[in-house]
Amino acid sequence: MSDEPKASGVSTRALIAWLVGAAVLVAIVAVDYTVHHHAHFTADGIDVDAMPEFFPLFGLVSGFVLVLLSKTLSIALKRKDTFYADD
Amino acid sequence: MQMTDLPPAAVLFAGALLLPLFKGKWRFAVALALPLLALADSWAVITQGGESFIPFMGMTLQPVHVHAATPVFATIFCIMLAGGVLFSMNDDRRVELTAAFVYAGGALGVAFAGDLVTMFVFWEVMTLGSTIIIWSGRQHDSYGAGLRYFGMHALGGVALLMGIIIVVTQRLHEGAADPLAFGHFSAMVDGWSHLDWDNAGMWLILVGMLVNAGAPPFSSWIPDAYPEGSTSGTVFLSAFTTKTAVFTLLVAFAGVEVLIYLGVYMAIYGVVYGVNANNMRRLLCYSLVNQVGFMLIGIGVGTKLSIDGAAAHAFAHIIYKALLLMATGSVLAMTGRFRLGELGGLYRTMPVTMWCLIIGGLSISGFPLTSGFTSKSMVVQAIVDESSRMAALGEPHTYLIVTWFLFQAATAGVFLDACVKLTWFIFFQKDSGLRPSDPPWNMKAAMIGFAFICILLGVFPGLLYQILPYQGEAAAYAKVVYSLEHVMVMLGMLGFSGLAFFLLLPILKRGSYIHLDIDWIWRRFIPRFWKEVLLPLLQQLDNAQKAILESLPGRGMRDPSLPAPIARRMGNMWAVSVPVFLIVLMLLVYLVAYFVLPTL
Repeated sequence: MSDEPKASGVSTRALIAWLVGAAVLVAIVAVDYTVHHHAHFTADGIDVDAMPEFFPLFGLVSGFVLVLLSKTLSIALKRKDTFYADD
Repeated sequence: MQMTDLPPAAVLFAGALLLPLFKGKWRFAVALALPLLALADSWAVITQGGESFIPFMGMTLQPVHVHAATPVFATIFCIMLAGGVLFSMNDDRRVELTAAFVYAGGALGVAFAGDLVTMFVFWEVMTLGSTIIIWSGRQHDSYGAGLRYFGMHALGGVALLMGIIIVVTQRLHEGAADPLAFGHFSAMVDGWSHLDWDNAGMWLILVGMLVNAGAPPFSSWIPDAYPEGSTSGTVFLSAFTTKTAVFTLLVAFAGVEVLIYLGVYMAIYGVVYGVNANNMRRLLCYSLVNQVGFMLIGIGVGTKLSIDGAAAHAFAHIIYKALLLMATGSVLAMTGRFRLGELGGLYRTMPVTMWCLIIGGLSISGFPLTSGFTSKSMVVQAIVDESSRMAALGEPHTYLIVTWFLFQAATAGVFLDACVKLTWFIFFQKDSGLRPSDPPWNMKAAMIGFAFICILLGVFPGLLYQILPYQGEAAAYAKVVYSLEHVMVMLGMLGFSGLAFFLLLPILKRGSYIHLDIDWIWRRFIPRFWKEVLLPLLQQLDNAQKAILESLPGRGMRDPSLPAPIARRMGNMWAVSVPVFLIVLMLLVYLVAYFVLPTL
């Protein structure tokens, strides 16, 4: 993890952490391709979740959408944390 | 009278009375022994199928009754209390500890309540106990938060009581054999046929229960009140109120569709607000709402598997949420800081706390080999099963498919939020320069114990499955829970949601902000409206009226010929002028209406 950053910006530990993380994610996707995935809602003609890359992609997109939704709301709803204490 | 005639909660209430008599190590020993005694007593009652009846106004109270969901909830309430006691013991908080026993006793009482009156009484006992815990928090806003918390639960309690009165009155009219019975509008006992939505009483009961579950629009009391508890107080608070509400909903309203929609809202709300939260314990309170949302979805789907899933998830959730709050509480206790932006780099000196937080975080996300995986996945599977059943019957079920996808998205979100974000900001990110040690041994022991249970239930889910409402259903599910496909789905989804966190890290740096919620209406809008609009308006009205009165012949009160003290006293008497004016106005409107609309 990022310890004291060097002058160049990124510490070696942060780099290693990123590489290890990336390796884990690649491994998950690789194994995913060897596993048979069932579609959950076949009766309704939805089979997108039977693709091996569906859930990694779904997790990534969900994370992005939720964080961006949260940040968008934050623009309007953000107040200093002394907001109510000022009363 | 036998021991099993008494509700097991009596053990905890007796404890609350006894504890102040002991000191030091003795109190520690007694406080640890009592929840275990209550657990043993609960199981004695459960295995003997204990029932007790008390005549009450021509009806029957049933303070001891074993519902299908009683074993799992009674067990977890007792374990939780013991863990919380262990965690709190280094800090001499007599009032809080006694209140915790009252609070847990209330929860245990509800789990064994066979009638609506008993349920309501224990329900209110919980409100008292928990409010005192918040007030003993000694945080900067504990007093105000406790008041707001009490107001909210008093309101929910009134809805519940009104509902109970209506339902019982109706049952008496219908000549029901057991008008007070709790559980007879339950899918778990009688099937769906007893639900009658023309019945306002049932709606009020549902609303009363939902207030305690933190359902919208009243979700905000959880992140408002709970972070104001002490390090140990918040651990107690997180366990009982919402999960008792889940228990009562499970008994009374399984299969009610509206719970699914409320649950989906809560699951998403918890993540969206959690991502923005900067107070680490408030973040966990938001994810508490998210998790209770999952339970509500399970209850709303209403199949045997989904009900088992909701009950199992409540059990698992109490453990890992307490664990997460213990870990963050330890950080708070050792550093005195609660804002994520002010922490960082603690991995060096608090390794035990860090690993416990990570295990709790993985559990809340449903990571394989943790308790969250084996409990939450039951609800997920139940949604799929119910959807295909309804598809085969040609019934509308699109909402179940949408629910399933949103459920999964919220799962990915809570991993990002309550696991990765929390761990990263507290233990890594930039070095805050803080070098606190791990907390005292009892706090570590409580954390390690609960972390152990998280893993234990993840590896041996059968331990929990065998005390669920429908053991047979759960036992069948136990055979497929660890399919390779299940595991890979979770690993893929969670892994890449974690990636999303690090990619978005630049916009996730936090300042000291809160985010407005619906409680803004009663915390800010209504007080301000009164102070700045309504009150000045009434004062203007008062002045105008005084001016009119003074201009009248004789000039009423301000007769200059009167001695000053008398004039002042008479002046004071005009304080009622505004109400009198309003009443006259109202009577005038009524009089006009009476003649214009003769049907009134």
